[in-house]
Amino acid sequence: MTKKRTLIILACALLAMAGLAQAQSATGTTTLSVTVGPEASLTVTNGTTTLATAGTVFNAYTGTTNLAYKIRTTKSTGSGTVVLEVTTDFAGAGGPSVGTPPTAGDALTYTCTVTGTGTACSAQTASHSATTPVVNFGAGAGSSTSTAAVAWSLTNDPVYATGTYTATTTFTIAST
Amino acid sequence: MVRGKLTLGPAAPWLLLALGSLPAGGGTGTATETLSAVLNPAGALTTPATATLTTSSHTFQSFAATFPVSYQVRTTPGGSGGKITLQVTNDFSPTGGPTAASGALTYVCGGANLGTACSGTQTASTTTSTPVLTVPASACTGGGGACSSQNPNSMNLTFTLTDNPVYPTGTYSANITFTISAT
Repeated sequence: MTKKRTLIILACALLAMAGLAQAQSATGTTTLSVTVGPEASLTVTNGTTTLATAGTVFNAYTGTTNLAYKIRTTKSTGSGTVVLEVTTDFAGAGGPSVGTPPTAGDALTYTCTVTGTGTACSAQTASHSATTPVVNFGAGAGSSTSTAAVAWSLTNDPVYATGTYTATTTFTIAST
Repeated sequence: MVRGKLTLGPAAPWLLLALGSLPAGGGTGTATETLSAVLNPAGALTTPATATLTTSSHTFQSFAATFPVSYQVRTTPGGSGGKITLQVTNDFSPTGGPTAASGALTYVCGGANLGTACSGTQTASTTTSTPVLTVPASACTGGGGACSSQNPNSMNLTFTLTDNPVYPTGTYSANITFTISAT
């Protein structure tokens, strides 16, 4: 009788404790680490820029190329640039040329404007053999919404043969 | 490796032993022993101590890191199951860089061999826990049969951090706390 009573008590105790079972939990922690370095990207908004002249008195051909860029330079010590180079000169005999202009003084020149981060270049002459500046950045620069515009001017030399001429200009952005 | 685990402690009151009485004196007799254990729902998990978010480009592609989560779980038939959640318990520091509070840190879950990994892209939060895994009732790790054949179970998480150009250069760290619970 005593044994039976003991078992009954034990069973009741077990059932009671089972009913008390609660949600159990445990945790673990992970440290996420990231190193943010200098980066840059650039998009030429208008892939083709048409140079046109107003009037018929040999005014220069003009047009504007627009850029959008993102830039991050290293704090304290970094810098950045946007440069351009005429990587493919105007083709076609008797036409304009950046590398070998038919007349001394003929040139493809440009000026720059910046909206946002960076310092726009002063008036430049484009080159077929070297890069020339468009935008400069100092240390600690950071922007995702900046834009620049390159306003071109191509000499309208009367000696140019009539026709359509095309050149390719490559823009490069870099940051440290 | 950081490991959190629930075990039946040496003083666990739910392990009870009842011994029947033995007859005094000589002769033969029988003894009845009732051995009972109440196994509560339990969960344990292991995550890497550190994980590094990296990017393969330098053109503002997002940073990403994938790492495994190992877990053991036991849920009761009458319970509501179990789950793993996470929360950003310390946002990225130093300040001025990325923040989880801004919604820049997201993750996807996959590869769970017990339970159901979270679906879609989740945004990690500094204020609330977000889902990683759900485990049904009557689930258990290891042993096969009604339980999983794997022990521990595993899944993986891929974290993605947006690479905003305005983040100053530098190294930033945040703590993610994972919690496993079972009923």
